[in-house]
Amino acid sequence: MIRKGNGYIRKKNKDYKDDAAIDIRSVSKRYRIYHEKIPSLKNTILRRKRTTFEEFMALDDVSFTVDHGQTLGIIGPNGSGKSTLLKLMARILQPTSGKVIVNGSLSALLELGAGFHPDLTGRENIYINAAILGMKKRDVDKRMDGIIEFSELAKFIDTPVKNYSSGMYMRLGFSVAINVNPDILLVDEVLTVGDQAFQAKCYKVIYDFMKKGKTIIIVSHDLDTISDLCSKVIFLKDGKIVDMGKPINMVVEYRAYIEELEKKRIIEQQRSERKKIFKTIIERNRKIVNGEEIAKLADSGVGGETIKRFGSGDAEIQSIKLLDSNGKDIDFCEYGDDVKIVYEVLFKERIEEPVFGIRLKDFRGNTVYGTNTRLNNIKTGTFEKGDLIKVVFRQKIPLIGGEYLVSSAVAYKDNITYCDWVNDMFTINVINRKTAEGVVDLNPSIAIKK
Amino acid sequence: MISNFKKLFSYRELLFSLTKKELKVKYRGSVLGFLWSLLNPILTMLVYTFVFSIILRAGIKEFAIFLICALLPFNFLSNSVNYGTGSIISNSNLVNKIYFPREILPLSIVLANLFNFLLELVALFIALAVLGYKFYLFLYILPVLIFIQFFLVVGMTLLVSALNVFFRDLQHLITIIMMVWFFGTPIIYPLQMVPERFQFIIKLNPMTVYAAYYRNIFYYIKYPENAGFPGTMETLIALGITLLIFFIGYFVFKKLEPRFAEEI
Repeated sequence: MIRKGNGYIRKKNKDYKDDAAIDIRSVSKRYRIYHEKIPSLKNTILRRKRTTFEEFMALDDVSFTVDHGQTLGIIGPNGSGKSTLLKLMARILQPTSGKVIVNGSLSALLELGAGFHPDLTGRENIYINAAILGMKKRDVDKRMDGIIEFSELAKFIDTPVKNYSSGMYMRLGFSVAINVNPDILLVDEVLTVGDQAFQAKCYKVIYDFMKKGKTIIIVSHDLDTISDLCSKVIFLKDGKIVDMGKPINMVVEYRAYIEELEKKRIIEQQRSERKKIFKTIIERNRKIVNGEEIAKLADSGVGGETIKRFGSGDAEIQSIKLLDSNGKDIDFCEYGDDVKIVYEVLFKERIEEPVFGIRLKDFRGNTVYGTNTRLNNIKTGTFEKGDLIKVVFRQKIPLIGGEYLVSSAVAYKDNITYCDWVNDMFTINVINRKTAEGVVDLNPSIAIKK
Repeated sequence: MISNFKKLFSYRELLFSLTKKELKVKYRGSVLGFLWSLLNPILTMLVYTFVFSIILRAGIKEFAIFLICALLPFNFLSNSVNYGTGSIISNSNLVNKIYFPREILPLSIVLANLFNFLLELVALFIALAVLGYKFYLFLYILPVLIFIQFFLVVGMTLLVSALNVFFRDLQHLITIIMMVWFFGTPIIYPLQMVPERFQFIIKLNPMTVYAAYYRNIFYYIKYPENAGFPGTMETLIALGITLLIFFIGYFVFKKLEPRFAEEI
């Protein structure tokens, strides 16, 4: 039988084996997102038509085929159209344009335990759930024992499912679902059910399915699953196919994309956080302290509260940044990189021989490294009121990957009283090269000798 | 349309399964589940009987039977419509995740109510037999009558369940509409009481005709002096309107069905 219209065609003749199991032909799906929360008759009558809406292309001219017996993986970030694609194949949605052609019977595991009613027992719900998934009652009767055994819920099968834990609920749902015996199986993120042992069972079922030559389409964020199971992978982004091909290549491509995205996100987050921190630091009333308190104050977190900034204010630290060896602004560096930590100081009074310093702390608050001009025997000279200077610390970063907080300070020439000290002004991200653990990388070369 | 019915037929197991679930859930938790469901029409009957034959003294013989003959079929309609309105929305998890003909959801509600109606009729037969009504004389008309009314109920339920997806406040409106419909149908009063100039409107209501048939079969068998209302003309008009409502309901539902998953 071939049904026309609605862009969905399903063939049931026996000679379909020559065709692809699923043929997606330039399919697009457009959603309307209404600005109105709930559509109502009142609003429709009062305003004559529904309020404004935006159109959103969930899928944009997507084409591909899945052969019989193939296992296809679909990966992509959230909102890339993966679920929409599955729903189109399962005919829950209809394409705005294009054609979805399905050859053979199809079952979609988009949700486990769909239609379970809390007041009914596990056994009763098996019948309903199986009927929803398209199973005949006599088939359910035949497989009932298998379903119950697989779910490991024999003891509770005649208890209302409202008394089930969410894990039991999902297990029962999965057990029913895998007993439906379609030619094509759609799976959406449902392989993460139950404990390890149960998951292993689930994988075995999927493998058995594959061995029987069934067509499987899996949507998952679990890239290991995808590369384990699939023979072909589609990388979807913003409703378009970025690439499709061998699982290894696609997963690598997707991982790279995710890492890039993650980097951007962290940078963005830190930029805004840095701005916020810096603002609060600058605006905060500074404390004038004597030498004895400094040790205490410099360790942030002492006494429960972090003192972000202290000092007389005769000189003020204005800004701080991290540059690479070419003088370009960076947010990340790698182990062993040559970088510059640069901060600007504005003098409010004339100061003779100030001492400039920095400190690096790890995320636990341990000082990892600290240095200043005095320790390095550098004569700094005298600065007049109104001078704006840059202090550049050229550093090697032999640190293990992670986040390091930079504190910066300007001291009077006694190096006991301070003009300005700003704690945790800046974060340096060191990219992990995974060759060591701890804080410092002592750069080993390892040999084993007999 | 025929291919749709074929498809629906292939999904009959799901339809029966959901109907069964509907009934099970309704009667679960009480041994006397079904008896409880009888309580509602019985109480309604007692209240109206008290009001109309004791306070207002309408002078209708055995008012309780007069009333219940028309009340039960109307309840079949109003319960189906009232519960069916939200049937698509309340099953959003199914509509969103699994493909099946969506009309199964409202249809399962109608079937569950039909089943309930039939049980109520059996209870009514017992009461009639005890009171000496020869209800069995024209019982052969009953299946035809129920079959025809079924189309009206299905049409209405399909219509409101589909529209409810797009207009969520329809639910409130439906309750009121069903109340108006109730009083617009000769259930608590005989048609003869309606002033001449309003009669034609009341007669356009197919439920008026069907209620009259139910009453002819069960009640007027004992008191035949007032029987005989639905003429051929009125019956044909009622049939026509019923079919019209059925097709409107069906086509509106089919037209809107593809967008259910997006709108829910």
